[in-house]
Amino acid sequence: MSDDSGQPRALAGVRVIDISTTPAAAWTSRLLADAGADVILIESPEGHPLRRTGPFADSGASIPEAQFLANKRSITLDLEDATSLEVARKLIAGADILVSSFTPSRLDALGLTYASFGRSDLLMTHVTPHGMTGELAEVPGNDLTVGARSGWASINGTADREPLKPAAWTSSYCAGIAAYGATVAALRWRDAHPGEGQEVDVAVTEVMAATFAPGMLRSLYTGKAQTRQSADDQLAGPVPVADGHFALTLSRAHFWRDAMNLLGLEDLAEDERYGASWFRQAHREEYSGRVAEAMSHWNKMDLFEELAIRRVVAGPVLYMPELRATDHLEARGYWRRAADDPEGPEYPGPAYQMTATPQTLDRHAPRTGEHSDEVRQEVQS
Amino acid sequence: MSGPLSGTRGIVLTQAWAGSWCTSLLGQMGADVVQIEVRKRPDSWRGDYAAPIPSQLRDRPSAVNPWNCNPLYNSVNLGKRCITLDLGTEEGMAVFKRLLTFADFCAENFSPRVLGNFGITYEQMCEIKPDIVLASLSAYGHSGPWTNIPGIGGTIEPSSGMSGMLGYEGGPPLNSGQMFPDAIAALNGVAGIVTALRHRDLTGQGQYIDLSMMESSLASVGDAYLEYSMTGRQRPRLGNHHPSFAPHSIYPANGDQQWVAIACEDESQWGALAATAGQGWADDARFSSMASRKANEAALDEAIAAWTSGQDRDALASRLCAVGVIAAPVLDALELAEDANLRAREVIRDIDHPEAGVFPQVTLPMHFSRTKPAAPRPAPQQGQHNHEVLAELLDMSADEVDALIRSGVSGGGPPD
Repeated sequence: MSDDSGQPRALAGVRVIDISTTPAAAWTSRLLADAGADVILIESPEGHPLRRTGPFADSGASIPEAQFLANKRSITLDLEDATSLEVARKLIAGADILVSSFTPSRLDALGLTYASFGRSDLLMTHVTPHGMTGELAEVPGNDLTVGARSGWASINGTADREPLKPAAWTSSYCAGIAAYGATVAALRWRDAHPGEGQEVDVAVTEVMAATFAPGMLRSLYTGKAQTRQSADDQLAGPVPVADGHFALTLSRAHFWRDAMNLLGLEDLAEDERYGASWFRQAHREEYSGRVAEAMSHWNKMDLFEELAIRRVVAGPVLYMPELRATDHLEARGYWRRAADDPEGPEYPGPAYQMTATPQTLDRHAPRTGEHSDEVRQEVQS
Repeated sequence: MSGPLSGTRGIVLTQAWAGSWCTSLLGQMGADVVQIEVRKRPDSWRGDYAAPIPSQLRDRPSAVNPWNCNPLYNSVNLGKRCITLDLGTEEGMAVFKRLLTFADFCAENFSPRVLGNFGITYEQMCEIKPDIVLASLSAYGHSGPWTNIPGIGGTIEPSSGMSGMLGYEGGPPLNSGQMFPDAIAALNGVAGIVTALRHRDLTGQGQYIDLSMMESSLASVGDAYLEYSMTGRQRPRLGNHHPSFAPHSIYPANGDQQWVAIACEDESQWGALAATAGQGWADDARFSSMASRKANEAALDEAIAAWTSGQDRDALASRLCAVGVIAAPVLDALELAEDANLRAREVIRDIDHPEAGVFPQVTLPMHFSRTKPAAPRPAPQQGQHNHEVLAELLDMSADEVDALIRSGVSGGGPPD
């Protein structure tokens, strides 16, 4: 399948209507758009809530708006107004996929339940905090409560402090990716079984609980809940170096040996007992001060490069300006701008590169209702 | 009932977390996923062949092989079959290549040079199965100057920009409590493979998916990159706070390690919280609008913590949820396993493993109304399906499979 320009697109010709209002659902439809679907965002006249969500640029532009709404067209419709609702229903009647973040009672009140469309071939993807069934279906949630209910907050952060949610909107992104994958799987089923659409129900909390699965089963097999790490566990995460922080998460015996030799701690390198991670954990105080002192003389990229030569896994804590400056991401062509807005902001690339059907960023984030006239004409014609 | 990927088969070389969980999710969606494992280099998440049996399994007579009783392996390999083949032998590779002709997709997460060393790059796979979909999940991708730098979740989290975002306000950067980038890569791998399968169905053309864990992690804090590109600023670590909304944090409840998350995204939620608390917050000028609450967030958090700290966690969270406040108890790993809602929705299910016994596990977090998948198989024992798969796909007799086992090409457990 190709678009007008002849570029193969995995989802060319697929029409998506997005009535959602959350980051997780917005990311689902953003990924559908990046794969070539025509995504029409239905917004209330006051605009998608992410347009009023910070952080903001000095110009007042919302960062989440630019990120989550890009690559879509926008039409403003007040779903509580009968005439507007009729337009929305016409749009949905011509769509392959409907993306929603509304709770069951809200969809019912709007008259936009799956059953109300009477179309067995429609795919309707729900992305909500807790899912469309069960005792929490109507309960509000966001990335903070997802961190709490999925187990992640209980193990993020340090033992002497409060639990810590996953950073920023990472939970929403994960749910958006999962919902995208589930939606394309259901689309593929419908390709092979004409008329067989369905509802796909993805709960952000459940996706994050699934990403927590190893921690849960390990706790069950040992009878003890995994806890937050102690603040001084230098092999569990980033520790200070001369110009920032650096993670020396040494998982194998030879990583320890080669890293200690590089740091000039030959006696620790040669002591074979330290090759076992349980031994390192148990005897942390015998080396941690010396390792910290040795690391404090290194710059993070120098240490990264020297360890890479020795094929030791290690990671410098990099910030956005540093990531932008890496030759690696530049060489892989990671950075991109919207094709219709070459002077606009630079975006990060897709999560994975597809050789035959690359994901593309064709459109800037639309203004509220930017395509209202265009889309209305398409409905009427 | 069958999942949306029923009728699709993967012959996969995945391991550890990212690759294994990616192909597990595809299996739980109904694909027939056959995991190939090499006994000489067992999946690192099976642990050491000589490792001790976990404490809660020690009294089970069935729990005899540590490599089949590792919680890490058993948590991310639901829904698959496993056969062992030594790909370093001519015979093992020949069997693998015959199996590949029955595959719709393959996935692997070796270091980038390994497939080439085996002689099974994407191009070489295409000679065997022209429309194959292959996904490679690697630390830094299969091109670019960092291609051959090794990495794991714990080192990709810092190098991708994620650790720089995670941490308490004013505190140092942190890694997540377990290697989150692996899980992100797995979800993206599913997305890529399913997309490629649809394209193949419509066009007959397979393709190669090059997934860099660094890029998939960075994409999941992509808004922070965009913030840098639009403002020149690196977003600071925010702890549990939100750029716009306040309150938005985790507060102490009564008891050891009892915590409750509370957030208000609009004035009606704030009004409900203030009314429930009855502490006069609604009349406090410092808290009169979202902007003023955000400006006085330290005082706000202090007031809320003072109110929550003597209260029962679950009762408080329920009261707040009932009036529309965004709230939740902070569950630990053992509480999660018993979560009534996740059990009712069949995301957490009791899974019976032949050696480890019955334990709750997190299964597929996607619900399909028409193509509802069956409950997943437990994680396979090493080589559990050698006879079954080789007979079914290659029509090999039991004697032929036994010969492979005797020669060490297949089999189970530590190599002789």
